[in-house]
Amino acid sequence: MTTINLSQPLDTATRPDNYLTHTRGFMSWAFTLDHKRIGVMYMVSVLISFFVGGVFALLVRTELLTPGQTIPGVTADVYNHFFTLHGAIMVFLVIIPSIPAALGNFIMPIMLGAKDVAFPRLNLFSYYLWLFGALFTVSSLLLGGFDTGWTFYTPYSTTTPAGGVIPALTGVFILGFSSIFTGLNFIVTVHKLRPPGMTWFRMPLFLWAIYATAIIQVLATPVLGITLLLLIVERAFNIGIFDPSMGGDPVLYQHFFWFYSHPAVYIMILPAMGIISELITVHAHRHIFGYKFIALSSIAIAIFSFLVWGHHMFTSGQSPLLNTLFSLISFSVAIPSAVKVFNWMSTLYKGNIVLNTPMLYALSFLVLFTIGGLTGIHLATLNTDVHLHDTYFVVAHFHYVMMGSALIGMIGGLHHWWPKMTGRMYNENLGRIACITVFIGFNVTFFTQFFLGSQGMPRRYYDYLPEYQIYHVISTIGSYIMACGFLLTAYYLLASLFGGRIAPANPWGGRSLEWQCASPPPFDNFATQPRVGDCYDFTAIRWDEKEQGYVTDPALDSTKNPQLATKNLH
Amino acid sequence: MNIATTIFSNLLAGDPREGRTLWLPPQDSNLAVNSDLMFWWINVVCYFFFIGIVIALVILVVKYRMKKDRPFRTDGPLHHLPLETTWAVVPLFIVIFIFYFGFRDYLNFMTPPKNSYEIAVTAQKWGWLFKYPNGATSDDLYVPTGRPVKLSMRSSDVLHSCYIPDFRVKKDLVPGRYSYLWFQTDNVTPEGSGHNLFCSEYCGTGHSNMNRKVYALAQPEFDAWLTAQSQWLDKIPEEELYFRAGPKLYARCMQCHSLDGTKGIGPSWKNLWSRVNGGEDGKFVDGTSYQSQIGAGKQYQTPEDYIRASILNPGEHVVAGYANAMPSFKGQLNDKGIDAIIGFLKHMDEFDTKGKYLKEAAPSPKVSMK
Repeated sequence: MTTINLSQPLDTATRPDNYLTHTRGFMSWAFTLDHKRIGVMYMVSVLISFFVGGVFALLVRTELLTPGQTIPGVTADVYNHFFTLHGAIMVFLVIIPSIPAALGNFIMPIMLGAKDVAFPRLNLFSYYLWLFGALFTVSSLLLGGFDTGWTFYTPYSTTTPAGGVIPALTGVFILGFSSIFTGLNFIVTVHKLRPPGMTWFRMPLFLWAIYATAIIQVLATPVLGITLLLLIVERAFNIGIFDPSMGGDPVLYQHFFWFYSHPAVYIMILPAMGIISELITVHAHRHIFGYKFIALSSIAIAIFSFLVWGHHMFTSGQSPLLNTLFSLISFSVAIPSAVKVFNWMSTLYKGNIVLNTPMLYALSFLVLFTIGGLTGIHLATLNTDVHLHDTYFVVAHFHYVMMGSALIGMIGGLHHWWPKMTGRMYNENLGRIACITVFIGFNVTFFTQFFLGSQGMPRRYYDYLPEYQIYHVISTIGSYIMACGFLLTAYYLLASLFGGRIAPANPWGGRSLEWQCASPPPFDNFATQPRVGDCYDFTAIRWDEKEQGYVTDPALDSTKNPQLATKNLH
Repeated sequence: MNIATTIFSNLLAGDPREGRTLWLPPQDSNLAVNSDLMFWWINVVCYFFFIGIVIALVILVVKYRMKKDRPFRTDGPLHHLPLETTWAVVPLFIVIFIFYFGFRDYLNFMTPPKNSYEIAVTAQKWGWLFKYPNGATSDDLYVPTGRPVKLSMRSSDVLHSCYIPDFRVKKDLVPGRYSYLWFQTDNVTPEGSGHNLFCSEYCGTGHSNMNRKVYALAQPEFDAWLTAQSQWLDKIPEEELYFRAGPKLYARCMQCHSLDGTKGIGPSWKNLWSRVNGGEDGKFVDGTSYQSQIGAGKQYQTPEDYIRASILNPGEHVVAGYANAMPSFKGQLNDKGIDAIIGFLKHMDEFDTKGKYLKEAAPSPKVSMK
């Protein structure tokens, strides 16, 4: 490299040193304050947890191939432990931290042109809290496990003989603090570390989503902490809070639990929506359509998320008045969700769409989220929910939202930022094949469960009537197809680390700041604070054969050309 | 749609019940009619939006793919207020409509008519007990057709939920509270079938086996059944009690107590009588042995006393190695019922491991009723 490509900002030139090579050794990772390394540590931990949770999912599906016992040794009790662990691991260890803590940690400060998050030490502390929380939760396995379902409903959870309930509750309690600290850190980062020129309405939409998520994390998670503490107290010291035999009220627990756990659904889905906003606009090389509506709909979803928890309790004996109000408010979530979907679709209009792996994941998200959202109508409607509540219809619905949307969004984001994080390109064709395999497997698994549920099969059943078997067999086959897709993904991503093509600074043609620093980013991200323009303005983006990536044309770049800057303001 | 329905109903081989559609099980209560109509309309809305969105996505992706020979397009609109407002407001109107109709029928579901026939329901790990106004009890639910039936439900341990898919009704049973569920069915259940009744709130080991049947009978048949049901135990002579009533009553115990020696939620009943009757000794949770508790001058004067106490007050002496998981059967089993259980235990060798009476293998010749 003798000539410096003047068409790029200086930071994209690969410096001899990046965040991976800056320091070496175990201690340099264990005590790092670098948001990128903490993000990578989260990512590795979350993916390991995803593997473990996935194994339990496959065990559950395999056991359900036939009525009664299928896998030798898996009795009803063992099965109950399996689905509980699958739920608890996927919710608390995978989906909640996956996007904000893993991808958010890595990308957010770079998107802001900052050197780190606002509180790097708190960030590392959050990670260790996550690790200890995870160890506590998993250690409950050695202490007798827990078979309460991830919801820990009383009085079952306070009376079950399973010995691991208290360690598991303690683990989730600690995980809650990890989540709170991450949220707090991100709120301050977004408020205080935005670069000059990046007003609220010039932030990348991913940051809006992360910000809205952080608000929910900080406001809702303490309620979960208190609830779990009360549950521990009740189980350990027989102090009656929720157990009616000691003067408590089990429905109170459900209110407390869902006051957190409904917003938690939006902690999972909002960041994924943020990722989709990025994926669609970058891979369609087209300015996002209706920026303000998308940004504000994230905030609207965050606000509504606190007002709809009672829709989990339509058949619990909650008063009809409350049920009516909760049903009505739940429907209001349809509005911001519809706005997002239609605005994303309009972003494709007159775009320059490239169907590579992240874009395929974004399109999968659109289809799966549409199904997940539309089937929410059946469940928010009072009289149909009476039939569908606690059946496989609900299982299918929330897997479409939590897995088909939140996790698919996360995996799409992982592919999108993989070249930035690792400096390597993965095999694009294998990526496309894996994405399509996962998409097909997912729909075979979970669409079948809509029929299963509306035909009356309750959830959390070890044994079932023979009339439901055909659906279970189809669903289980789907889960194996999905597992193949994920194993392929794991293969080509790991392979890319060793033999992948060296990634250019801007492989997709993005305009937000993370594409203006090298891949992988240097330790301090940017040597000088970069200038910020419209992060969705793709007019200056050009493919460069020599670079095998995209570059910006300085003549058309509003951050370089002041005349354009005033023209493009809107 | 019809082809799909046929395929799926063929897939459901072995199900004798008519009226199953692609999405929903047979419709057999007054509440199911409106619930299904609502479900159908929501499906129409879902199909419309889903198919529309997928078609639009395909067209957009095909039409606006990046092409090497085409210059970069930058002419797409950045926003369009009227359009965005439209797709924010139109879904709002649709869901308000759906909300209203769902709400209207839900109020109906929440308000049992005053003239309802009331049946008391008790759920416990892992069984149901249905108690009728004349004192009769049953494990399966029998209801009269043509009049509203109200279930007045309670749980004696953890949360359960009573779910009858064919009636489209469901309500949680919360310990410490009573909850109501009502429905009216006008169709007599055909011979050889029954509506499923499930527990749909997770309650532990036996959760998935807490399913029973619901039988709807015409009023005269129901009345006859009710009278017979209230007297079945009284009509059995004392000497036939253990083999005629024992296995029937055992059906409610078999979730936890095996007859073949397998350890369940509770101890197996195999050899139980000899164990408490001075045979192989065992321990209670508090460390005391059977023999120190059972016998003349001890807490339980006779083994019969111990069995009786274990049924009515099961937490008093729990056998070592088991949790205090059994609910009390006080008020559910009368003295004659307890006698039947004790007799059943004493004559365990006359039954197979499923509780079937072996000596009745050759039935006595039937006397013509003419």
